[in-house]
Amino acid sequence: MLARPSELLTYSSDGLPTYHKKPALAVFPHTRDQLVRVVRHLAAEGVPFVARGAGTGLSAGALAEGDAVIVGLNRLKQIISIDPVNRLAVVEPGAVNVSLTRAASAHGLHYAPDPSSQTACTIGGNVAENSGGPHCLKYGVTLNHVVALTVILPDGEIVKLGNADGESAGYDLLGAFIGSEGCFGIAMDVTVRLTRNPESVRTLLADFTSIEDGARATSAIIASGIVPAAIEMMDGPTIRAVEASIYAAGYPADADAVLLIELDGLAAGMDADVALVERLCTEAGARTVRVARDEAERARLWQGRKKAFGAMGRIAPDLVVQDAVIPRTKLPDVLRTIHEIAEREGIQVCNVFHAGDGNLHPNISFDSRNADQSARVHRAMRAIMHACVEAGGTITGEHGVGLDKLEYMPLIFSDASLDAQCRLRDVFDPDRRANPGKVVPIHSCREWSLAPAARDGAREEATA
Amino acid sequence: MTLSTPHARTSTSTSRVEDTIRAAAERREPLRIEGAGNWLDAGWPVTGATPLSLADETGIVQYTPGDLTLTARAGTPLDEIANVTAAERQWLALDPFGASTSTLGATIATASAGPLAHAFGTPRDNVLGLEAVTGDGEVVRTGGRVVKNVAGFDLTRLFTGSWGTLAVITEATVRLRALPEVEESWALVVDEKPEVLDALFTRLRFAPLEPLALELVSPSLAAHLGVDSQGRAALLIRLGGNEGSVRSQRELLRTLSDPVGAPRGLWRTLRECEPERGAVARFSAPPSRMAQTWTAARAAVRDYAQAFVHASIGRGIARCVVPTTELGAAERLIDAATRFDGTVIFERLPAELWPRTRGERTTSESGTERLARGIRNRFDPMSVLNPGILGER
Repeated sequence: MLARPSELLTYSSDGLPTYHKKPALAVFPHTRDQLVRVVRHLAAEGVPFVARGAGTGLSAGALAEGDAVIVGLNRLKQIISIDPVNRLAVVEPGAVNVSLTRAASAHGLHYAPDPSSQTACTIGGNVAENSGGPHCLKYGVTLNHVVALTVILPDGEIVKLGNADGESAGYDLLGAFIGSEGCFGIAMDVTVRLTRNPESVRTLLADFTSIEDGARATSAIIASGIVPAAIEMMDGPTIRAVEASIYAAGYPADADAVLLIELDGLAAGMDADVALVERLCTEAGARTVRVARDEAERARLWQGRKKAFGAMGRIAPDLVVQDAVIPRTKLPDVLRTIHEIAEREGIQVCNVFHAGDGNLHPNISFDSRNADQSARVHRAMRAIMHACVEAGGTITGEHGVGLDKLEYMPLIFSDASLDAQCRLRDVFDPDRRANPGKVVPIHSCREWSLAPAARDGAREEATA
Repeated sequence: MTLSTPHARTSTSTSRVEDTIRAAAERREPLRIEGAGNWLDAGWPVTGATPLSLADETGIVQYTPGDLTLTARAGTPLDEIANVTAAERQWLALDPFGASTSTLGATIATASAGPLAHAFGTPRDNVLGLEAVTGDGEVVRTGGRVVKNVAGFDLTRLFTGSWGTLAVITEATVRLRALPEVEESWALVVDEKPEVLDALFTRLRFAPLEPLALELVSPSLAAHLGVDSQGRAALLIRLGGNEGSVRSQRELLRTLSDPVGAPRGLWRTLRECEPERGAVARFSAPPSRMAQTWTAARAAVRDYAQAFVHASIGRGIARCVVPTTELGAAERLIDAATRFDGTVIFERLPAELWPRTRGERTTSESGTERLARGIRNRFDPMSVLNPGILGER
């Protein structure tokens, strides 16, 4: 347990350096039994809490303030079992994403969702955020890979969601829980599906003299019927930040965009797909298309992509990053709009993102001590978000709403839709003690804005 | 066409659904939610309810092929979606059992899936967003129209498979996929001895195969489908991909057995061989126990010549279909389910037999039952949407 302000400092922010909140206390159960005792004690005392994994989140979702307590789950990191025949694994919530893939590799299996933070982030955190990653283009997100959960609800009751031993009947409570950002309870164990390692993997790097050409190549590949494991795009400023860092991956520094494309699957037929992707990139205007010759070159190309945010940290002390998803055909238009917004505000936007599914990550390095620059950055971010929603998109594809995107929720959901989300939360956590103040703006919950007595009355009437 | 902002006007037909539900909630009069009406005998009986039909809620609202997403009104038949998308060499990879006139809304509401679930998952894995009207008449939009979305709590998953008991789906956005360049299907004649099946399934699990579907069918079903299996069961394999990949997978099948070319329209015939009336149950367990699950499912319908069984072997699910309303046949199925070491989900039964599937009444409500009841109360406070269809007390 940590209570000293200096000790709590580590837990006052997550992967987004722009938010700071001071928790009252941080507790770190070492066993699931201890976790149960902690949650039940908090319930008995009526104390709010925030579950936290590795703190790599990018939405200020795992922050606590006021009397709220951080429940740190990173000591609960056991891989409980691996069933190679049924391709299932059971892990504790604090198990690190990549450690599961390592443990499964002896069986020729891996855990498919691979957020860029996979060397640090936890499976429990992935469940809370419904995390994606580059390879979810082909393999799907966390939702598609979790088959069962044991959850301790905020009131201390333990429930099983989903079914690892067959089909699941009744409402899809498992699906409702995944991505609930710590507002519905804490997963005590997670049963995930493991994926067979592909027989063959090929990684290509195509470089372009304009972002639009890269976007057109992406559209052409998607339309061709090939489902690449990943299509990632990095723009010129990102390429140069990566190349100037210790993660230099050999990207051509004078390019305005590179696409990192991975194809995987059966060895038979792979050459034909690689040739087709090469041709589509060239037709879209690629200067060169390079196919990684060996595992070392492949790892290096990916390292640059996965550490791109880290590389950006060298540019300035603060970083904001967005996570909007747009229809894939809108990529060229929206990227042009983002460029115009950046020019107008006189700031540098770096784009490094999952082009294959239209999941943008525009990010801006800046110095928050410079008030004028900060104001321009935040204005630009808001304008970019509006442009993405305008294009038919959503405000977050994998990072979650947390605190960071609360203000944008009414852009995509009506009052009735937000209220419906509140209704669901109220079933899991009627007292709103689990990760309070996140995901849905409080004022959009109709019943909640009534006085407590009236609220209870309404509930009784509803169940009568 | 852009309707994605929250302030987009609700279509007049959604208003009709909204008005009907509000009126029903006010009078506390139950509604029976219907699509094409193909699956109305599925689930526990809903009695004394007024039909609310979505059959006229048809039409594709938005389809941009380059986005591989499609938005359609809930009553749109699956075959209409198939026709429109096939013209762009795309498809919605959902093939629930039953007539292909079945609607998109009903498929999602009942979470119905067919053989393609082997490669593409069930409705929950393919639905991106919904418009739905809750039991108190609120029009709610969930998810969105893009392929990746974690904004807000996931009502899309909650409503998918909720059998219309939380909200009536009026519109849905789904993920499409490109049709494979080459597609072909094969049948392997198989011996049903558990040890033989086990050995075959193990080989398939490790083989360099990426089938779109892998469905085991009992002998009479194989015959009905026109597969020449000489009175034995058959494993149907649907391959898709580029030329080279399909060729190598076909060659691999030859090393396992002697594959027979599948008759034209095989998968459609399989989907549509659902009887008008009868009893249907799905037995499921981990895929490693597929051979035992198959044996249990076959034994459950042994006494009925017209009955058949098929199984999605990669998913560990065997589905028993007894095309008769004779109570004895359905009772046998229920008894077999009680003895089965795994999960059994009943799709259809004669109305009076449903209470027998409940098993022994437990004294206290489980945590998940409590959550389910709480959710039902929140979204349909007057219990007007398909009341009783889930066997809720």
